[in-house]
Amino acid sequence: MMQSDGLMLRDLDQALAEISAIRSQIARSVVFRGYGPATLATTGLLAFVAAGAQAAFLDDPARHVSTYLALWAGTALVCAGLVGLEMITRTRRVHGPLAQEMLWTAVEQFVPAAAAGGFFTLVLLASAPEAAWMLPGLWQVIFSLGVFASCRFLPPAIFWVGGWYLAAGLGSIALARGELALSPAAMGVGFGVGQLLTALILHFHREEGEGDA
Amino acid sequence: MPRRDRSPGRFAYEGLDRVIHERARLSVLTSLAAHPKGLAFGDLKRLCRLTDGNLSRHLRILEEPGLVEITKTFRDNRPHTTCRLTAAGRRRFLEYLAVLETVVADAATAARDEAPARRGLVKGFAPA
Repeated sequence: MMQSDGLMLRDLDQALAEISAIRSQIARSVVFRGYGPATLATTGLLAFVAAGAQAAFLDDPARHVSTYLALWAGTALVCAGLVGLEMITRTRRVHGPLAQEMLWTAVEQFVPAAAAGGFFTLVLLASAPEAAWMLPGLWQVIFSLGVFASCRFLPPAIFWVGGWYLAAGLGSIALARGELALSPAAMGVGFGVGQLLTALILHFHREEGEGDA
Repeated sequence: MPRRDRSPGRFAYEGLDRVIHERARLSVLTSLAAHPKGLAFGDLKRLCRLTDGNLSRHLRILEEPGLVEITKTFRDNRPHTTCRLTAAGRRRFLEYLAVLETVVADAATAARDEAPARRGLVKGFAPA
C-alpha cells in the first residue's frame, strides 16, 4: 500500500514536471514582449547623458578609472533597474499564464553575458589595470553576445543590434586608445545608439505580436 | 477538510475545455505548441501516431473554434497541408494547462496528506 502511495506521488510529480516542460517549450517559441521600447529608448538617452556628464566633469578618465567606472556602472545599474522593473510588469500583462517562464527564459539568455562583463571588469582591474582602456570595447562585445543569445526570443531584426554592439566594441578597441582611451564617445555612442536602435525595432514589431500569449 | 477546500466549486475544474481534453487533440495541440511555424500534416500524423482520417477529424474539431489554422497549398505540384496553432489556440491551451496543473497538484496534495494518515493506521494495528 505504502509503495503504491509512493508510486502515485512520483507519477503525479512527473505529470507536474511534464506540464511545466510543455509550458517552457511554448515560452521558448513565443516572441518575448517584456522589453518596452520607451524604457529602452530612455536607457539610450541615459547613455548619452552619462557621456555628456563624463565630457563635462571628467577631464582625464584614464587617470581616474574608478570615477569613470562609478559613472558607467551607476548608469548601467539604473538602466538595468528600469528595464528589469518594466520587464516584470509588462511580461505579466502581455504574456499572462506564460509570464513566469518567459521571464526566466529572458533572464537565462541575457544575464550570463551581463555577469561575465561584471566579473571580467573586476578581474581585469585587479590583475591588469593598465589594460582598463579596453573596457568600453570589451563591455560592448560582451553585451553583443547577450543580444545574440536573446535573438531567437525577440524579433529577428534584433540580430542587427547584436551586430552593432559587436562592431562598436571592436571599433572602440581599435580606435579608442592612447589619448582617446575611455573617451565619452566610446560608451555614449555605442550604448546610446544600440539602445535606441533596439527601441526602434521593438516599436515597429509591436503590432505583429498582439494576441500572442 | 481544510478551509480553502470548502469554497463552492473548488474542485469543479471548469477550465478543462472539452475540445482540448481528449488524448489525440491534446497530442496535436502539444505538438503544434512546440512548432510556432506550424507542422506539415504528415509530420503531425507521425508525431501523434494517428491515421489520416483520425487526424483530419480531430483537426476539424480544433479548427471550428479557431484553435488551429489549416493552410492548403501546392508544393512540387502536390497538395501540401500545414497546421498551425493560432494565438487564440495558444491562449486557450495555456489556460487548459493551468487548470490541468491545478488538478494534478490537488491530487498530489491529497496523496501526500493521506499517506501519513494511512501509515499511522497501519502502525496502530501493529503488535506492540
